[in-house]
Amino acid sequence: MDVDRSVSALTEVFFTLAVFAVGVAILEGILYLVLVRWLKARLALPILLIAPAFVGLMALIFYPLLWELNVSFTNMNLSRLCDPGIPAGIFTECRGQNMFIGIENYINVFTRPVLQVAGFFQIFWQTILWTTINVVFHVGLGLGLALLLNRHLRLRGVYRALIILPWAIPQIVSLAIWRTELNSEFGMVNQLLALVGVSGPSWMTDPFFNFFAMIMVNVWLGVPFMMVILLGGLQSIPGDLYEAAEIDGASSRQSFRFITLPMLRPVMVPAIILGTVWTFNNFNVPFVINQLELETSDTLVTGLFRAAFQYNRYGFAGAYAFVIFAILLVFVIFYIRRSGALRGVHE
Amino acid sequence: MSQTTVPTVQPAAVAKPSTWRSSGTRHDSPLKKAVIHATLFLAALIAFLPVLRVFSVSLRPNNRLLSRELDFIPEGATLGAYGHVLFETDFPQWLFNSLLITVGTSLVGLIFAATSAYGFSRFKFPGRGVGLTALLATQLIPATMLLVPILILAIQLDLIGTYRGLVIAYSVTSVPFSIWILKGYYDTVPIELEEAARIDGCSQLEAFVRVLLPLSTPALAIVFLFNFLAAWNEFVLARVLIGSQTELFTWPLGILRFQAQFQTQWGDLAAASVLVSIPIVALFLYSSRWLISGVTLGGVKG
Amino acid sequence: MSRKLHPLLPILVIGSLILAACSGEEIGGSPDGTDAGASPTEAAFPEGDIEIELWTKEGDPQIAYVEALADAYNAEHPNVTINVVNKDVELLREDLVNTALSPEAAPELVWTVADHIGPFTSAGVIQELDGQIDTSIYEEGALAAVQVDGTTWGIPISNGNQLMLYWNKSLIGEEAPADTDAMVAAATENTGDGNFGLVFNETESFWLTPWLAGFDTSVFAEDGVTPTLDTPEMQAALAFLYDLKYTHEVMPGECDYPCASDLFTGGSAAMIVNGDWELGNYADLLGDDLGVGPLPTVSSTGSDPAPYTAGSFYMVPAAVEGDALTVVLDFMAWSTNTENQIQMVEELRRLPANAEALEDPIVTDDPLLAGAAEAVQKGTPQPTNVEMRCVFDAMNTGIREVLGAGNDDFAAVTATMQEAADNCVATL
Repeated sequence: MDVDRSVSALTEVFFTLAVFAVGVAILEGILYLVLVRWLKARLALPILLIAPAFVGLMALIFYPLLWELNVSFTNMNLSRLCDPGIPAGIFTECRGQNMFIGIENYINVFTRPVLQVAGFFQIFWQTILWTTINVVFHVGLGLGLALLLNRHLRLRGVYRALIILPWAIPQIVSLAIWRTELNSEFGMVNQLLALVGVSGPSWMTDPFFNFFAMIMVNVWLGVPFMMVILLGGLQSIPGDLYEAAEIDGASSRQSFRFITLPMLRPVMVPAIILGTVWTFNNFNVPFVINQLELETSDTLVTGLFRAAFQYNRYGFAGAYAFVIFAILLVFVIFYIRRSGALRGVHE
Repeated sequence: MSQTTVPTVQPAAVAKPSTWRSSGTRHDSPLKKAVIHATLFLAALIAFLPVLRVFSVSLRPNNRLLSRELDFIPEGATLGAYGHVLFETDFPQWLFNSLLITVGTSLVGLIFAATSAYGFSRFKFPGRGVGLTALLATQLIPATMLLVPILILAIQLDLIGTYRGLVIAYSVTSVPFSIWILKGYYDTVPIELEEAARIDGCSQLEAFVRVLLPLSTPALAIVFLFNFLAAWNEFVLARVLIGSQTELFTWPLGILRFQAQFQTQWGDLAAASVLVSIPIVALFLYSSRWLISGVTLGGVKG
Repeated sequence: MSRKLHPLLPILVIGSLILAACSGEEIGGSPDGTDAGASPTEAAFPEGDIEIELWTKEGDPQIAYVEALADAYNAEHPNVTINVVNKDVELLREDLVNTALSPEAAPELVWTVADHIGPFTSAGVIQELDGQIDTSIYEEGALAAVQVDGTTWGIPISNGNQLMLYWNKSLIGEEAPADTDAMVAAATENTGDGNFGLVFNETESFWLTPWLAGFDTSVFAEDGVTPTLDTPEMQAALAFLYDLKYTHEVMPGECDYPCASDLFTGGSAAMIVNGDWELGNYADLLGDDLGVGPLPTVSSTGSDPAPYTAGSFYMVPAAVEGDALTVVLDFMAWSTNTENQIQMVEELRRLPANAEALEDPIVTDDPLLAGAAEAVQKGTPQPTNVEMRCVFDAMNTGIREVLGAGNDDFAAVTATMQEAADNCVATL
């Protein structure tokens, strides 16, 4: 390890944080003077408390979103690589050429191929399949394992520790492992299949098996988290309920149906919403397992990345990103309305 | 993006000893017990096998991995790859860089979130509901969506190839969810405690720092842990903002470099993977009992 | 928790005081000189201190050669410092393309692969070199790889990047199979028991391209930009690869680059189709058992396969001018003169771009390099326009569909390839 390099890394990180701190101090000072000394506002304190995070999020999330929205109305690409900035709209030019093309990108998202041949609806369908299958397995297997682990059982702690591993290992490491082990000649998966006399498929090039592999890896990765959440939920169900049910002669199936499931609901509903959003937006797994960029394994977000970074179609990618965002927003609002979760927001 | 960022904490569950009374535990027949054990064993095996395998690859005597053997202790097993990774590559430097950035940004993110969550929890002000909903909406944004604008912004501000952009980005991006977790936790702490402190002469801010924050230590610790893990494992933004100088890399970029297109250094890759996983897995296992009893999504339900 | 945070604050404050001094590190930009005019040969060599940043794709261990060049130049011109910066080849492309948005971040000189010319010219980040430097000393094929529509965008350093046939002499014998029928026969003999007759990276269309000439077709029409992938000849080429794998069964299952390469170096594969960049590595590992030559003639057509040739090239970023430009042009010419090129052959085992060095005994007397040289001669310069990217991507889907998924409906595959390429070209 290079000492000079480490010192300079240290200084750079602390310098940045220090600038950060100074910035926050200045912001707070100005707000204090304006709100407390000058306006004597009653709600000065919450504003002072929230202001730094607010400014940070504005700069890092709101501004980029606005920029992206603006770009989505331009034809910015590799040969028109100019920053349209904000605000731009109709006045945007790149090397003398007009970049503003109105809503053309939004029309193209639905009418033209996103990357090579596959259109938006094919990729959307693949994303729905990907999301649904994953969430079903995450919740199903997670719940099953949580129920088994929520018992008096020898070796319970050992099982739990081992099953939690896929969540604990850094994702980049586990994905590197899986990519290696899915090699059809040398990978562990096909060698194990060969032991039982099955000739393993081509995991990287065969469209069906590549999609299958993506789901397999993501189920492996995602079950422990869901299991932990549901186990937490199970353990918060008072034991007396089961005892009372038992006295009333309820079978264990009935207890599950009428006690466990309803009592788990407050934990399960938000877990499913979040699980769906994460899976839908999951970039790492489809990107790494579909290293050969089969369009049949693309999801909306890997398509987005490739449209922007591989094909440099920044304008198109901008429009496409907002379509994805809108889809998620509609889903979440619909699901929240239906399930009544998030009542607490406006309390 | 990362699955490690999100859960929330309920104080009741944290404080509670683990009670796992449950349905049917007393009437299990030996056969049923055997089936349960077999199922759990299979699940544990599936979870564990790939991990064991990477360990075995890391012991292989040469870097050109590809071999058809399935033995867990390979022929001619050696720790050479570990020595190589630790003493002859930039790997320790990458770990140091990661640790530095991760600890720094997790702390800053935690401070931002802790104060903002207090504002949202204890005050009613116009725009509060909108603000909370907006924070939640940020969780819907695909990370790749912001990548291009952030890249362009970073190019123009000359942040590529430095840690400045990365530090700012990591500090801020984890804030929305941290606010949600902490707000959920603060909401459950009785406001009377702070009021009592104010009667004793504390200002509101002092009441927050002296009373509420110490009471919220478990939630703060969990938020720090999740921020830490999110930043520790992040690589897409790092790839864009750090650029091409290898000595600036964080460890995920380094691992990806071992897995170069033409000459993957399998032994190095596996050894580095094992080395980087051990502390994180230890951290997880250490906190797992506490995670399991403490982490529920209760905060979101209000 | 809050108590633990307090000690951090003084550190932050002190840190900010100390570090204010050592923040922004400026990399020496090109000095703002007056325009030296088009012909550097007439411009006097600049006197003042000049720093040149050189981005190179060469990593360990090849970067040592680049650094040695820079040092040698510095010894001759003490006022010139050349900083060599290694960048992974894809990152180098991204970083230089991004300089379209911030020209001051660009280096003074780039050492990279030819296929970056498409994106670089498209984004307008490199400059034309016609009339600025004498290009007559380079082998024609090498130079052609960096010319688009008669404009020269780079200066060749090495020549090659071509795919060749490597064979294991202990299995195949001294001589390479003369045509594809002989290759299949030799491969069949060496297949079985976990051994394979022939391997190559089955997942990248680069490994399809040499066979196109063997089946008398190419990826573009006469105009050089319109993709022509949906042709009977293309179908024949795909069918040839399909037969190798599924009819003659001389190839392994799904096999990517490391798989193929490890099978060959491990002695489990008798022949491999791979690039010249592995020559040094394979020679080290196989020793006298290694044979190298051009790909065999296609028996059914009698035509020779033509691998794409490219190699490494200098390119000059668009904003470089004045004294820095004069120095950069001089350095490029100096580092590719006959003497330095012979040095490069010794160090890197790559074929030189300099025509005179290519005739030197160091190349002609070495059987491996001579084999490589013969393979280069049969090659064709890889197209450098942006459309080529579309074609590579489109053909990727084809070769993966045929060799990976085992699809033998070649007409449908080529139709999809054509559609993908056309869609991509339409978005450029």
